[in-house]
Amino acid sequence: MSLWVIDKQAMAPFVAKLMDDYRVVGPLAKGSQFAFDEVEDPADLRLDYNTSILPPKKYFQPPEERLMTFRRNGGTTVQPIVEAEPTVILGIHTCDLHAMRVLDEAFTQGYPDAHYTRRRRQAMVVSVECLEPCMEHSFCKSMGTLTADDGYDLHLTDLGAAYAVDVGSDEGKALLERFAEARPAAEADMQQLNKVLGAKWPRFPYKLETEVDELPALMSQSYESPVWEELAEICLACGQCTIVCPTCFCFDVYDEVDLSLQDGERRRRWDSCQLDLFATVAGGENFRESQAARLRHRFMRKGRYLRKKYDALGCVGCGRCARSCPVDISPVNVFNELHQVRA
Amino acid sequence: MAENGRPKVAFFDFACCEGCQLTVVDSLQTHLELVEAVEIVQFREAMTEKGEDYQIAFIEGSCTREQDEARLREIREQADIVVALGACAHIAGVNAIKNVQPSLQDVREYVYGDKWEQYDSYAARPISAVIEVDAVIPGCPIDRFEFLDVVKKLLLGKKPSVPDYPVCVECKLKENVCILETGGTCLGPITRAGCDAIYPTYGVGCLGCRGLISNPNENAMMDVLEEAGLTVEQLMSKMTMFNAYEPAHIGEAVASPAEE
Repeated sequence: MSLWVIDKQAMAPFVAKLMDDYRVVGPLAKGSQFAFDEVEDPADLRLDYNTSILPPKKYFQPPEERLMTFRRNGGTTVQPIVEAEPTVILGIHTCDLHAMRVLDEAFTQGYPDAHYTRRRRQAMVVSVECLEPCMEHSFCKSMGTLTADDGYDLHLTDLGAAYAVDVGSDEGKALLERFAEARPAAEADMQQLNKVLGAKWPRFPYKLETEVDELPALMSQSYESPVWEELAEICLACGQCTIVCPTCFCFDVYDEVDLSLQDGERRRRWDSCQLDLFATVAGGENFRESQAARLRHRFMRKGRYLRKKYDALGCVGCGRCARSCPVDISPVNVFNELHQVRA
Repeated sequence: MAENGRPKVAFFDFACCEGCQLTVVDSLQTHLELVEAVEIVQFREAMTEKGEDYQIAFIEGSCTREQDEARLREIREQADIVVALGACAHIAGVNAIKNVQPSLQDVREYVYGDKWEQYDSYAARPISAVIEVDAVIPGCPIDRFEFLDVVKKLLLGKKPSVPDYPVCVECKLKENVCILETGGTCLGPITRAGCDAIYPTYGVGCLGCRGLISNPNENAMMDVLEEAGLTVEQLMSKMTMFNAYEPAHIGEAVASPAEE
């Protein structure tokens, strides 16, 4: 929409002012890694982070949440609960912006999810352009997620002494005007931005040996591949890959009561198709009994099913699952192996 | 059922440290409503009274002697519901380390010295090897919230279930930096969750006290640990610290070692 510039020394006051009106979250150091968390001191914010342990999807779909409370005392009553608060999410990478399209589709198609949509509406997204590869496991360039044209309210690019700020929405513009000391970009800023953006691309390697648009067909042809059995031999089925995945959204709903057995609440929490019980139904039948079947299902969703259903990428190449995997199963390697077998 | 409608509950212990019962005592202080929900008639660690009329029996500890078997059967006879409380009762826990030593005789002499003959002891077994068990509360020690949850399920007339997914799930949800990623060793990928990943949260690898998930990929786990630098000996001692009793046989009736 329009391009602005914030000097780096103006960032901390910007964040501090946001904190007066919003819950402000962003990447913070966590041990040797980074995690999105509530910003208490703007100096803690690490917009130079490589990647986060969990993706920022947790602010739209929390790992665990209350859906409603119920009482059986004095006539049964039910009270729906939607826990949402105005939040500014700082520092989202473009891979995660692309992933949010999947979540948006999944939670609004058919019966819109009130919990997700309320939180999504109340969130301001301030994303950051990646200028260096974040880690060995990522392959965003191959997946077409190394940059984004939309999906943000404000988008920052590091120009050295300042951030270029691309305004992506009216709400973003209002946020900038109200809380930041920003100036409209001058010709020299535009030139610097073009230089920075032009220089970044060669730093990122292509890792996928086929085209991303080929993935649905590749996966379709790989359904009976022996690769799934081979991977199942080493897969621990620990479920980490789906938990850290920015496009995974499956959940489980359950009730909890207090010890009086009268009052309780309905909750939901993240679930994982990699776990034994995920596809187990009443009577004990398990529709994906083997780990090979479960692994295949995960990769089919990433490479094919979600593309078909939502016209959005099921895998954005963030590399979190590969980093988390104790036995180094990496989607780009799996896609490449399937491609080689087919070729 | 007691006259007030509350089920009568009793606690028992076999070969164990009684730490799980201590956790129960602790939970009675943090969750006073427990006392309203059940009537405790026997609990050696917490009260003097010793009622023999109970519906629910919580049993801590492993079966390690012939005389334990008869006592377990007595409890089973009286109780409508038997719950294995903690790792020793659930999977034989650390008691079963002796099962995988070259000689039980050496173990007895090592522990009891020249008085070894005065102490009966045979291979440790989970209580499910001797009597039917209706529910388990895993862990060394148990988690108080899981204890509360099991009590609630029993009060509701439901069959209590414990998580059948690995510790990694809870660990990742807490956004812990993975112990394996930082060069450490951890049994989280094959160990039953439910502890809120307490060990990795404080920077220590999981030791498997809650037993293994139903379908653990033990071979892959051992490869991962070997790659992390464990010798075969270290690896085996890690795998058998809590899980020396054959995981595949947990929950099965097993002939008494006394008959061998």
